[in-house]
Amino acid sequence: MFWGLWLLIALIFLIVFIFFMYYNRFAVLGNRIDNSLSQINVQLKRRADLVPNLIETVKGFAKHEKEAIKAVTDARKALVGAKDIEGKVKADRKLESALKTIFAIAEGYPDLKANQNFLELQRELSTTEDRVAYARQYYNDSILSYNNLCKTFPGTFFAKLYGKQSREYFQVSETDKKLVKVDFK
Amino acid sequence: MAERIDFRDQISGNKWKSFFLISSIFAILVLFGYVISFAFEPGFFFIIMIISIVFSLSYILISYYNSDKIAIASVQAKKASRESHKQYYSLVEGLTIASGMPMPRLYIMNSSQINAFASGRDPQNAVICVTTGALEKLDKRELEGVLAHELSHIANYDIRYMTLVAVMVGMIAIISQIFLRSLWFRGGGSDNKNNWIFLLIGILMAILAPIVVQLVQLSISRKREFASDASAVKFTRYPVGLIGALKKIQKDAVQPEKKISKAVAPLFFSNPFRGWGSTHPPLEKRINALERM
Repeated sequence: MFWGLWLLIALIFLIVFIFFMYYNRFAVLGNRIDNSLSQINVQLKRRADLVPNLIETVKGFAKHEKEAIKAVTDARKALVGAKDIEGKVKADRKLESALKTIFAIAEGYPDLKANQNFLELQRELSTTEDRVAYARQYYNDSILSYNNLCKTFPGTFFAKLYGKQSREYFQVSETDKKLVKVDFK
Repeated sequence: MAERIDFRDQISGNKWKSFFLISSIFAILVLFGYVISFAFEPGFFFIIMIISIVFSLSYILISYYNSDKIAIASVQAKKASRESHKQYYSLVEGLTIASGMPMPRLYIMNSSQINAFASGRDPQNAVICVTTGALEKLDKRELEGVLAHELSHIANYDIRYMTLVAVMVGMIAIISQIFLRSLWFRGGGSDNKNNWIFLLIGILMAILAPIVVQLVQLSISRKREFASDASAVKFTRYPVGLIGALKKIQKDAVQPEKKISKAVAPLFFSNPFRGWGSTHPPLEKRINALERM
């Protein structure tokens, strides 16, 4: 009788512990997703902040490349103005292709190409582009572990209990993925 | 690789092994004290036991909290400055974003070998150290692959376990040396039978312990390298960089590094001694595994 009581108490503790543990896992993984999303935003903002400097430098050497410069400023405006993350990343894609054009044009201006400031900005911009990609990759990795928890047993049971649903991956639509054409005139 | 690695299992496994290792370090040290006290001077039993317990506790605490500093100091590495090593910092920062980890402290050691290691007790207190040879000879993507490999050692808590093993190997080697040498200075005179039995056990332990520890160390570090290569690719999504780095190490014929002691060798990206022991799987096998990804 005595032992049975202790066993029952231990069992109840174990069950409560498991409930807490799963609750915390959902919380931790959910936070990780939010955190990685904000990391994407941080990197995109940093990229947008670098662009005006670049434009100033380019204008100093290649003033009449108006079209290419305008494409970059427009893309930046769209990036800053976009409300949700999908819009931002789409704008960032446009910015990336506009920047590629600028860098291709710069090849024709030896002074610009050799400008220390320009080189520094070019390097910084490509670094932030890498980081945007990394941040998105980590975002999707975080969603993967969250969804794995939601969809495998006994996680499914707790997911239903706590009202958690698996989340959508961050995807780039096929039209955005096609290669950027650089126009050499 | 067909085998899927669950990183959460690996992390908790490493934490348990570290705990087990710390407990056995403590047990071994106290046991040494026990044997020594019987072999030499049974009269001072309690004093020697107290000293050995205090000594082992402080030894364990100090080496646990300073494992990264010990490893850094043992290879004479210096802190990397952000100004002169922009690419190094920028690559690690990018990788911390890709892996969602805190930024480790970065060090550089003087060596023409292409190599790197990570140390520390957890991701919040971790260091990465690369050789000057690696910074000079590897291109950006290759260096990134090597750094991602080291970062995944940190993420998996390999660093805690591996550094503890390194510290333990060093310790047992020192103790058994002291023990064996002190035997020469013991004059004869004790005819007590019991005494001789304990002395025999003492000698046996002093000889066997380092060998056992060495074997443990060799067997554990090989699997980890494959696992870390795999998660390095998970971070960078670019196996070509890491493959390039491994191939450059293969071709790069340099002297074995004298500054690296054998105890810390398994911490490194590739075996610093070429052909000595087998702390690392052969480079060809690692390249093959990566190419199949």
